[in-house]
Amino acid sequence: MIALTLLADPDQFKAPTPDELFQLPPIIAGVDWFTKPVLLAILSSIIVLGFLWAAFSNPKIVPRGVQNVAEFGYMFVRDQVARPFLGKDADRFMGLLLSMFFVIWVWNMMGVVPVAQFPVASHIAFPIVLAVSVYVLKLYLGFKTQGVGGYFKNMMFPPGLPKFIYVLLAPIEFLSNMIIAPFTHAVRLFANMFAGHMLIAFFSMVGFWFLFEQLSPLGAPIGVLGVLMTIIMTGFELFIMFLQAFLFAMLAAMYIGNSLHPEH
Amino acid sequence: MNTAASLLAAEGGANPLLPHVYELVVGIFAFFVVFLVVGKILTPRIQKTLAERTDAIEGGIKRAEDAQAEAQVLLKQYRDQLAEARHEASRLREEAREQGAQIKAELREEAQAEARRIVEAAHAQIEADRQQAFAQLRTEIGRLSTDLATRIVGESLEDEARQRRTVDRFLDELESSSAQAVR
Amino acid sequence: MSEEKRRPEDDGRDFANAAWSIPSYLLSGMVFYGGAGWLLDRWLDTSAFFPIGVVLGTVLAVYLVYRKHGR
Repeated sequence: MIALTLLADPDQFKAPTPDELFQLPPIIAGVDWFTKPVLLAILSSIIVLGFLWAAFSNPKIVPRGVQNVAEFGYMFVRDQVARPFLGKDADRFMGLLLSMFFVIWVWNMMGVVPVAQFPVASHIAFPIVLAVSVYVLKLYLGFKTQGVGGYFKNMMFPPGLPKFIYVLLAPIEFLSNMIIAPFTHAVRLFANMFAGHMLIAFFSMVGFWFLFEQLSPLGAPIGVLGVLMTIIMTGFELFIMFLQAFLFAMLAAMYIGNSLHPEH
Repeated sequence: MNTAASLLAAEGGANPLLPHVYELVVGIFAFFVVFLVVGKILTPRIQKTLAERTDAIEGGIKRAEDAQAEAQVLLKQYRDQLAEARHEASRLREEAREQGAQIKAELREEAQAEARRIVEAAHAQIEADRQQAFAQLRTEIGRLSTDLATRIVGESLEDEARQRRTVDRFLDELESSSAQAVR
Repeated sequence: MSEEKRRPEDDGRDFANAAWSIPSYLLSGMVFYGGAGWLLDRWLDTSAFFPIGVVLGTVLAVYLVYRKHGR
């Protein structure tokens, strides 16, 4: 991508750079913090709240309309995310997992909503907020159920290993659980959205450039290919957006579950 | 333009792995408002509703089972009652038949007794009549004998045929008078 | 609903746990022992310890995953 941009002179196709795509100016000049991702994040919260409020504020035993749809989501989070990892504690954490799943999903979906067209989670601050929340909760629950010493002992010295090997493995366990896992938790979501947005932007730019900006007999097929790829990638991204929301909530449930029930 | 944007621009390729502070703040608010409302208000409500629904479904199954059990008990009760009724009916029929037979026997007995009584009465009457007739006959025969004797003596015995006629007439008379007497 | 031992669910959880902790362990092993090797290299002015550390960390991480989840 860098090589491409270096080669480009003003009349040639120029692929979008990460800075162009992700460093967005404030919407209102002078209000530095009020950028597109900030607006979309607030909007996403309003959408999720509105949807879940409409569905669950006055739930009926026989569900109708929006409650039906939201219950489908609730059942999905409960049966695929919460119960497999939390068992009988699933209901306690449904509020967290449900809001997490829906908020991330809507954040991601902002990437394909016309006009918005920016996945909120592609700015790492947002995944960090969620991952840190889960991390804090994981430590709190671990300290509460196993004690501070017990938590680290269970984590770094799992039973059933030869004594001398603990010296070698304990640092890996510590690093994995305390730093790498929460880091990848946030980065996985961020990187997927970041890369997805780059890809869609690249292909739509190809289509736009070769079909509208510089229409030529040679360039037109490339432009058509770009448009086709944009459509295909958008469909693929829709899947990834859902999958990442699911994975993020699932890993959160896994970390919480491991804190509640240490390795046997 | 503003300082922050120009700073970012001046840095050139901003590291996408470094979060903006204002986005962290907004992210915390955006998520925790949703989490508080969903976790504190909405999730308990839907969980309560789901529990109620489970209850309603399980309660429905329980109720259906109860109803079926009750129906079974009722059916058994009805069957028992029916069997009892049948039994009772056959018992009554049997009893009626026995009673009928008894009544018939009694009636027959009575009728036979009556018949016997009538026959006996008739016999007694006949006997009495006979006695009476006999007694009457006895006196009559005496009288007739004297009567006959006088006639025989009084009238000459012309011929045998006349004599026989006389005797026959006498006997006829005798017969008719005795028949009248019997009646 | 709340028995301590429910086999299919436990199996599923163990599998997911293993699957999602493998990359994290591998990365941790490489980072820790690779980092230690890199520091040694800097200190002793060599260049062999960094790759050795990365390989050792990977091997140890695989062993750890195997002992924890691979039975």
